[in-house]
Amino acid sequence: MLRTEQLCKRLDSFCLREISLEVTRGEYYVLLGRSGAGKTQLLELICGLTHPDKGSIFLEGEDITRKRVQDRGIGLVFQDLALFPHYTVKDNIMYPLKLRNMPLRERIDRVQRAAEEMNITDLLLRRPGNLSGGEKQRVALARTLVTDPKILLLDEPMASVDASLKDSIRRMLRRLNRNGQTIVHVTHDFGEAVSLASRVGVMHNGRIIQDGTPAEVFNHPVNRFVARYAGIKNFFRVTFVKSYNSWSCITDNRTKFRLTKGDYPSSGLMILAAGEVLVTRQGAAGVQINNIHGVIEDIVPSPSGYEITVNGGDRFYADITHREMEALKFVTGEQVIVSFRPESLRLVGNGEEKNEY
Amino acid sequence: MRRHSLFNWIFAILASLVLLFIIAPLAGMLIDTSVGEMRSTAADPAVRRSVWYTLAIAFAATFLFAIGAVPLAWIMARRRFPLKNVVQGIIDLPVVLPHTAAGIALLGFLSRDGLLGGAAQKAGILLVNNGAGIAMAMAFVSLPFLINAARDGFAAVPERTEKAALMLGASPTRIFFTISLPQAWRSVVSGFIMMFARGMSEFGAVVIIAYHPMIAPVLIYDRFNTYGLSAARPASILFILVALFFFVLFRVLATERRELFRKEEDVTD
Repeated sequence: MLRTEQLCKRLDSFCLREISLEVTRGEYYVLLGRSGAGKTQLLELICGLTHPDKGSIFLEGEDITRKRVQDRGIGLVFQDLALFPHYTVKDNIMYPLKLRNMPLRERIDRVQRAAEEMNITDLLLRRPGNLSGGEKQRVALARTLVTDPKILLLDEPMASVDASLKDSIRRMLRRLNRNGQTIVHVTHDFGEAVSLASRVGVMHNGRIIQDGTPAEVFNHPVNRFVARYAGIKNFFRVTFVKSYNSWSCITDNRTKFRLTKGDYPSSGLMILAAGEVLVTRQGAAGVQINNIHGVIEDIVPSPSGYEITVNGGDRFYADITHREMEALKFVTGEQVIVSFRPESLRLVGNGEEKNEY
Repeated sequence: MRRHSLFNWIFAILASLVLLFIIAPLAGMLIDTSVGEMRSTAADPAVRRSVWYTLAIAFAATFLFAIGAVPLAWIMARRRFPLKNVVQGIIDLPVVLPHTAAGIALLGFLSRDGLLGGAAQKAGILLVNNGAGIAMAMAFVSLPFLINAARDGFAAVPERTEKAALMLGASPTRIFFTISLPQAWRSVVSGFIMMFARGMSEFGAVVIIAYHPMIAPVLIYDRFNTYGLSAARPASILFILVALFFFVLFRVLATERRELFRKEEDVTD
């Protein structure tokens, strides 16, 4: 449905480079990246607010690279929502309909329908200045959706919404997508990407560095940057060793890990999710389990319980629950053993970590 | 605490002296003029004519020149182009020019031998010693007030709202009239009032372009030269009162509109 080919755009001190992406009809595509990665600039190129220096944009097979913004049939909801402060909510939603010279009766009907869909019928006579972030978000969405866009672009749609309201906005976006609306959603929030995306593209320094389903991207990150986005903190640069048909690897700090069978390069970057690391005083049983002795360096509260940092030559981060902490009562400076299964260790990319960020 | 108090006292005294400097001559003029003098001056047809003439020409000049000044202000706020600083300098130039020098420059332009004056004469219009010439002299010295206020107003309009309107299908003209201008309205009106007030009180440039028909500042000068201070004083007071009335009226109207806007928001809150 939407295809960009080798899009390049030089801005003041920044450059979008060779952006090629494809979004199919009905897909929920999330562009994930830190602020300054070029996500908003890419959206502005797609919708025509700026023009690329090189490359092409196709929508439903038609080359729209040089088409006027007004004629592209693309809807964009800006990060700051850009509601018109001098109009009421009703007039904000009606604005695009007036431009289309729609009869008044039809305009009123469509505004009413959009307001009902977004659950903002009681706000229609208010001005945007005294709406909450969530309400403004719904108004901005309603204003864009009344234009029946072929594709909806959302720039950080949760940025101005309280944490408590994010769930309802997520549900609303999922419902829109289920009803057939193709969406491209830009965010810096990994949680948003996982909960909404049918496909995700990770953007960094003006490039899309990985693209695929959330499972593909976050289970097999091509580099440390993408892995960090997936919340992974345990990184080990290793050299792989094969002896008697079994594989192991040795970190730069001389820690040895057992590995599952498979093909490994001579060296590479291994990652280990904190949730798969067990911290105990006696170690975990099993021949294949990796048990590493170390000292607790730090214990900090986390949303799910605590994060424990253990120094065992290399530094290990482990997540434990409140209940485990209450039972085991770990303290800093204590000798412990970190344990994990060989299959929990994953190789980043193909071993040769490209695009090291 | 003591030092803080001393600081307040010094600043209050200095501020009072400046305010006194402005009020004292005006108050003195009021005290030295009798009610009878004021009444006869207010009944003088020449004075009345000049006051209404001044107001009408200042308003017409402001209104007509706003048609070009507001788009210029928008361009200055929104567009980047080579030599933009030079253009801003040109806009501000009338503020720093001696007004008589501005009058001389305009006279060369508006007289029969001048570029515009020559063309106007071919169409049967005389710009010198004429209301049109006076309007141009007023506009010349007061345009920067409107352009700069409107420019600041447009610059304060979030550019995203204009982009959002574009995304929703609006043309640039429609965006200007439905998004940019309504949001910058307060600054544009404020600039309009300042331009009107400044144009209405202009003497230096006007007196060179047109001694007749007499606008109020020229009439006051004429009375002073011909009959002395006591004859010029009542006309001055009358003109100041009328000018103040219109200045305050416009300000109040602009403020009321703003308050109305605020109240609507409070009610819906």
